[in-house]
Amino acid sequence: MTDTVKFHFDGEELSLPAGLSLAAALTTAGIRGFREGPNGATRGMFCGMGVCQECLVEVDGNPNQRACMTKVASGLSVRTQSARPALVASPQISSNPLVEKPDILVVGGGAGGLSAAAEAARHGAQVLLLDERATSGGQFYKQPAAGFALLDKQQSDGAALLDDALQSGARLLDETEIWGAFAGPEIHATRRGQAVIVRPRVLIVATGAYEQPRLVPGWELPGVMTTGAAQTLWRSYRTLPGGRVAVFGNGPLNLQVADELRSGGAEVLLVAEAAPAPWTRPGAAVAMSAASPGLARDGLSTLMRLRRGGVPVHFKTVLSRVETADGGLRATTDGAGGEVVVDAVCMNYGFQPQNEILRLLGADFIYEERRGQLICQRSDECETTVGGVFAVGDCCGMGGAPAARVEGQIAGCAAAAKVLGQQAMYNRGANLRLRQHRAFQSALWRVFEADSQDYADIAQETLVCRCESVTKGDIDGPSQEPGVEIGGVKRATRVGMGRCQGRYCSHVLAKHMALAQGRSVDERAYFAPRVPIKPVPIASVLAAQEALEADDA
Amino acid sequence: MPDERVDIAVVGGGITGLAAALHLTEAHARIAVFDAGLNAGSNANAGSLHVQLQSRFLRLYPDEAPNVEASLPLYLAATRTWIELDRWLGGVELAQKGGLMLAESDAQMAFLEKKAERESRKGLDVDILNRAELEEIAPWLGDHVVGAELCRDEGKLNPLLANEAARKLLKSSGVAIVPSQVHALEPVPDGIRVSTDAGDCIAEHAILATSWGTRALAAGLGVRIPVSWEPLHMNITEPGDYIMEHLVQHAEQPITLKQFQSGQIVIGGGWAAKFDPAVGTPEVLKASLLGNVALAAHLAPGIAHLRLMRTWAGLNTTADGKSIIGPLPGTPRVIAAVPGDAGYTLGPIVGQAAANLALGNEQQFDLMPYTPARFS
Repeated sequence: MTDTVKFHFDGEELSLPAGLSLAAALTTAGIRGFREGPNGATRGMFCGMGVCQECLVEVDGNPNQRACMTKVASGLSVRTQSARPALVASPQISSNPLVEKPDILVVGGGAGGLSAAAEAARHGAQVLLLDERATSGGQFYKQPAAGFALLDKQQSDGAALLDDALQSGARLLDETEIWGAFAGPEIHATRRGQAVIVRPRVLIVATGAYEQPRLVPGWELPGVMTTGAAQTLWRSYRTLPGGRVAVFGNGPLNLQVADELRSGGAEVLLVAEAAPAPWTRPGAAVAMSAASPGLARDGLSTLMRLRRGGVPVHFKTVLSRVETADGGLRATTDGAGGEVVVDAVCMNYGFQPQNEILRLLGADFIYEERRGQLICQRSDECETTVGGVFAVGDCCGMGGAPAARVEGQIAGCAAAAKVLGQQAMYNRGANLRLRQHRAFQSALWRVFEADSQDYADIAQETLVCRCESVTKGDIDGPSQEPGVEIGGVKRATRVGMGRCQGRYCSHVLAKHMALAQGRSVDERAYFAPRVPIKPVPIASVLAAQEALEADDA
Repeated sequence: MPDERVDIAVVGGGITGLAAALHLTEAHARIAVFDAGLNAGSNANAGSLHVQLQSRFLRLYPDEAPNVEASLPLYLAATRTWIELDRWLGGVELAQKGGLMLAESDAQMAFLEKKAERESRKGLDVDILNRAELEEIAPWLGDHVVGAELCRDEGKLNPLLANEAARKLLKSSGVAIVPSQVHALEPVPDGIRVSTDAGDCIAEHAILATSWGTRALAAGLGVRIPVSWEPLHMNITEPGDYIMEHLVQHAEQPITLKQFQSGQIVIGGGWAAKFDPAVGTPEVLKASLLGNVALAAHLAPGIAHLRLMRTWAGLNTTADGKSIIGPLPGTPRVIAAVPGDAGYTLGPIVGQAAANLALGNEQQFDLMPYTPARFS
């Protein structure tokens, strides 16, 4: 990574290491505001994984490019995106859409998807895997971008898994963004300006999860990002989110990332964990050690390293507000942590499953109250209630990467058997390993169990929907109308109508309204699932339409 | 449940029922408004103010063409009603810059020229534009568009704003919309019994602003109202620079294309969606999404780099090409208020007419052509 690239941002020339994403490059240059948002506000990268749509920039005259998913290249002209970008003549639409009909399509190149693809291919099925990222591995194994070395065992494990999948005979299409899922199943995607349509016999969904914030005033400010986004900057691009960092959240990822950023040279001024200290829950901690002594030990040493590095770690402490301050962001906690002024505020208050494809195809879910998420109903072989559609890993409800790998093996084997007309013969050890991983995960959750954010405690000025700038105060009246459904609140306030498709507000509102109306939460309490899953260029839809007309003829 | 006895019960809280309720409230009538909260066409509407004959109707329902043509003066009056309502509601982004119906061939131009002649005779402000004239007002159109009919009476508005503003205004006048399904209407000696999920009420008059649901409620009173639902598909993009002032349609293809003040472009115009009453919510069809969006990109190549952000489906209501306004035969206390076809455009004027009937006020236009008795 000795190469440098030169490109322009708003007319100013920047010279930065090659291999970075635009988001990493701009962050390195100290630029955090990427686009003009609602009411003239500036927005920047939040999720770092292509979900939130906040890091949009204009690249070489084309607006609506996600800086976190776009690679930097020499000579690019990048500009802050205006709230209403000019309608320019479209770039040439690829006249050559890709129509694929594999035995098995795996969606998602993380722990579950890679292992499912490898397993199915080894059993003799013809497998295609689609991943939205340039480098597969998913959010847990988060691989270094091309040109950067592997950092540690977690990355080398991921590299081995990726290598195994590539060796298995499964074909991988990278940078493929899925926007549509229809009965069949039929999956629609776009890849570097080309429309991709896949009509598999069997579908394995392994789309993982995305991070959940705590809704506090200022969470939309540039420089506030998910802990995973900060981790991607560091693990994939060796970029620090800022010189001074504070990390807030619930769960082990926050401690791990705080330690990684510290070791990378960041000044970590505060770590605030919502749960009580693990040693105050000896029962759960012992159960966790019993299920996986190695992982429990890793967790403890992370904590020790933070302490030794002089990083204040406060338990039973949550983020309550972020404001712009002189030369940075002021983050205030509700208790012991007080307030700190930093360059980057990182937070992760749990995860939500990326279940859009499964919901669109009509799979059944139940709501798990404790973790506030929808759980996809599956057979022992990970088949959903929709025949021929399997689902593995965190998209079914959070279970962690080790469990996702085993589920991938089980589903990959069962799916291959299905398309080859054979009896599924998976490794009998798989079920046992799955039980162990689930036991560990469940003990881990007990160690980190904390009250979720109470809707009533959210300040009125807090944005519930950051895309459309809808505050809690805006929602209060319409959500209390007698008999109103979530769609009615959406139409009355525009909550959930923005580019992220309601990913950050849907679960909050679903839960709040069910509680207020004395109902239990179910799948219908969420915004109705609709295509596109993510915003898709109209040019791609046009190309897909032409391709299908030709294919169906 | 509101008062068990009211002057007028308004069944349906879409734009027609809301407009009726606003007029009744202004006249100090004691009213109750019921809304089941599901599938109201108004909730899914895309905000076109239609006036000129829609090529879609002429093509799909040729038998109804004479009725639609006869209703053109009502469409004209409906836009004036909307302009008043826009003011009353404090502004709902109503713009009346006209509507373009595009042609891509000489045959389509010839069709538009004939159509324009017929419409002109009915009082519409229409013109035929050649490519050069079109270029002046809509430079973003694709090269293959050869000309268009411009109808200056047409426009657009933001239906989400309008629905919400009307509900708020009603609420501030002390009228709460009762969130319940009305199951049946029944004449009683001194009024009409309205049976709902939330209990019954007795009203002097009931206004049925229930679009396709009117068929079942009227059938319960022994009256035939042959309206049916038509599930339709819609799309919206993320915001872009505001360039499209007009409501845009096509001489042969089903499309409406318009830009909201937010800069978002709404694409609709009659592509089918799927509706199973047992499921309850209309669903999006792949072929409609692809076809409708592809057609928009074909007509307006400049929007092709914008991203499609959402799609949804809603239920339009069709009848015989004419609105249905008036007392039900045999049960005159029950007043039908079904705009039909371009329901959102016609909703406020139909709601106002129904309110005038219930109040015994003079009408602003002859209701005879719209009587529900025509189906008996």
